[in-house]
Amino acid sequence: MGKYSSFQKRCFLSILCSMTLLMQTGCWSKGEIEDLSISVGLGLDQGNETSLEKKFDKLGAGYKKKDLITYTLQIVDKQSESKSGDVKSDSGAKPYLNVSETGDSLFELLREFSTRMERPVIGHHLKVIIINEQLSRKMSMNNLLDFNLRDNDIRPNCLVFMSSGLTKKALEAKGNSVIPSFRIFGMVGNTYRTFKILPPMSLIKVEAKMNAKASYMLQNILAVDGEVKFSGAAVIKGATQKFVGRLNEEELLGVSWIIGKGKGGVVKAYDEKTKQIVAYEIKSMKSKIHSQLKGDQISFNVQIESDGRLSEEWVNQGQTMDAGFIKSVEEAAEKEVKRTIKLGLNKIQKEYKTDVAGFGKRFSIEHPKQWKKVKDDWDELFSEADIRYDVKLKITEMGAKDGH
Amino acid sequence: MFYEQKNNHSDITIREFLIGKQGVKAAIIFTNCLADLVTIDQHILRALMSLREQDVPISESYLINQVLSVSYISLSDDMDVILPKILIGSTALIIDGLSNAILIKTANSHSRSIEEPISEALVRGPRTGFNETLSDNTALLRKHGENASLSLISMQVGARAKKGLIIAYIKDLADPALVEEVQRRVSKISIDNLPESGYVEQLIEDNFLSPFPQVQSTERPDRVIGALMEGRVAILLDGTPFALIVPVTFSMLLQSPEDYYERWLAGTLLRMLRFFAALIALLTPALYISFIAFHPGLIPTKLAISIIGARVGVPFSSLIEALIMEVAIEILREAGLRLPKPIGPAMGIVGGLIIGEAAVQAGIVSPILVIVVSVTAISSFAIPQYSAGITLRMLRFAAMFCSAAFGMYGVVLFFLLLLSHIVKLKSFGIPYASPAVPYSLSDWKDFFVRMPIFMMKKRPEMLQNTDSKRQKK
Repeated sequence: MGKYSSFQKRCFLSILCSMTLLMQTGCWSKGEIEDLSISVGLGLDQGNETSLEKKFDKLGAGYKKKDLITYTLQIVDKQSESKSGDVKSDSGAKPYLNVSETGDSLFELLREFSTRMERPVIGHHLKVIIINEQLSRKMSMNNLLDFNLRDNDIRPNCLVFMSSGLTKKALEAKGNSVIPSFRIFGMVGNTYRTFKILPPMSLIKVEAKMNAKASYMLQNILAVDGEVKFSGAAVIKGATQKFVGRLNEEELLGVSWIIGKGKGGVVKAYDEKTKQIVAYEIKSMKSKIHSQLKGDQISFNVQIESDGRLSEEWVNQGQTMDAGFIKSVEEAAEKEVKRTIKLGLNKIQKEYKTDVAGFGKRFSIEHPKQWKKVKDDWDELFSEADIRYDVKLKITEMGAKDGH
Repeated sequence: MFYEQKNNHSDITIREFLIGKQGVKAAIIFTNCLADLVTIDQHILRALMSLREQDVPISESYLINQVLSVSYISLSDDMDVILPKILIGSTALIIDGLSNAILIKTANSHSRSIEEPISEALVRGPRTGFNETLSDNTALLRKHGENASLSLISMQVGARAKKGLIIAYIKDLADPALVEEVQRRVSKISIDNLPESGYVEQLIEDNFLSPFPQVQSTERPDRVIGALMEGRVAILLDGTPFALIVPVTFSMLLQSPEDYYERWLAGTLLRMLRFFAALIALLTPALYISFIAFHPGLIPTKLAISIIGARVGVPFSSLIEALIMEVAIEILREAGLRLPKPIGPAMGIVGGLIIGEAAVQAGIVSPILVIVVSVTAISSFAIPQYSAGITLRMLRFAAMFCSAAFGMYGVVLFFLLLLSHIVKLKSFGIPYASPAVPYSLSDWKDFFVRMPIFMMKKRPEMLQNTDSKRQKK
């Protein structure tokens, strides 16, 4: 470089630096926001061509594919021609648009969208992915979610749900003011009110479970007439990552007690003597699983503790209550909890033979050497393990009602 | 000879008269209106003409020492000296038989009274501002307090129209090298005319390509005094109320004297607010463009949806849309400045409200953009220095183009480029970004945060003062 002056060298260096900066990768894709379709929900069903697709096929549309999956994409629609101008005048139109396509590769299907709609879809705002349980029974989560995990648009905090019916139905709403995906996304926030709602399973958590080949539960959604309800949970088996069965609401409660992560909820029991309603509201919930190893025999001991308040009782009819009554309410509630635990355990242990409550994790912590030997057929061993459980509920307050 | 000059200078008056018993011919020559007639009549004419009964020796020394009761008197026989003096208000007395003309300073100063500075209003602080007369301005500096070390170096600038220029500094505070450098740069000015101190600023600044002002101009004597007491140097030019302060650093452009007059918590908060406002004024439209056109995923979902709803039907891309509104608001601001005072506010209403509202109604721009543009405009008004405000307004457009080309990455690149420029820039040898770069911890007491006054015991380190302690104890 001897023949160049220091000024030339500096110019060369600064140009080099700025060029390198410009070569960096980044989000270069330019597209004005109003020219994009924001997808907020994705539903995956078993392959079943819509009537529209059948008509297209008749006209000669189509390509080489297997009709395995029908996806329904929910798009927030603010841009339709009828909606330009005053926002208030379009209360007759739905604020969203559901588009369905049938085929096999999810990625290809999503790109097919471009052949039908003017605005390309972006996945940044995808909030919920709902999977039909029949589809999940046949295909593993690895395949179903692969595209969603790879796509760098889709956020890993997008939530995954199961639907026992058609997901298309779950992505519909009756009124014109509701965006169904937002409704489902918002309902997850109610976990502090009831532990019938599972803690949200985001895409990233599902991925972790998938990679660990662990079993897990996904919130189940029921949909009827444009209304939805969170009911029970779908159980995914770790080894296959496929749906094995569903827990109903009571069974889910039982499993939730064992997991002990609930933030609030109700235990409704009947008073033993009067058969009247007593309701216990959970303030805190704690569970501890202990594993024991005797020879090859694995057993577990679950200790569940909870503080709560007496929120409703139909027994005393305004009379003062005594300590004995509190005791009896606690007992009644404990009995009720034990009943649900039994139901839940029976389902996951005996029927589905999947460990979704974290027994294996405790065992691996407490007996790491043994765990290495048994972890490959853990589900089988788990189904034979002896599980004892003990429930202690404590009423710490009686609410605001005067003197009682 | 003076009668010849009268052809060129019609405003010259020549008054001839006789002195003493001998009746020596004499004449005074002065310029109408520039010379003070009271002084001429009472101290020159009356004094000389009252000698008519006496037999006096007519000599320069006699007249100066015993007759003319005026402070400023000089002698000259050079026509090139006498004529310019007459033309700025002196009176020349020529007497038959004497070789020298007696020059008597009779200039009357029609100066504007001292008013509150218009361009730098304060809630709390002295209500005085400089005016257009150099002597008044230096007097304002002197009046600040008894201070024998306040030095004023007088210089003449302008080849054709000579003007007084004063370099002010505190003798035992300012770095002598700095004073010398200022003197050197000022003396190198060889332009024929300097209408305003902006000329001086542009002729002595370090980097003419930089968008940042490297000299601070101010109308406030208290700001000048504050700068002098930190060891800076001020330059005052005759004929303008704007004094120049050098060296300047970036943080000074976002400071106001009020930061020091208010209590330190309030001062600090206001100062941080101004830094924040500067960022908003610089980057908001650019961020708007990059969010809308490149990163829809970075907007919260509900906001994204409402932005879509608002932008449906807008026929332009976000850059064009933002440019339309930004240019419109710059035109409005410029027009508002130039308008006569009574029409100004009406203009703001017409421009801001009606055009903004109508542009949204007509679907030319989206309501979100109107918010962005107005927030930007208001933020840029929060910059206390007008010239720094202009800088940010200029750079805002550059940021918008960068963002339209490369999105958020472009904004980041632009900001990096700007930072590297600021770091490299110097004002009279002092790095523009100090005390951030080069780092000087003790100067941070008066940077983003204005620490309590009792804690600021030292003058800014970066100025290399000869006396660094501000508080002795």
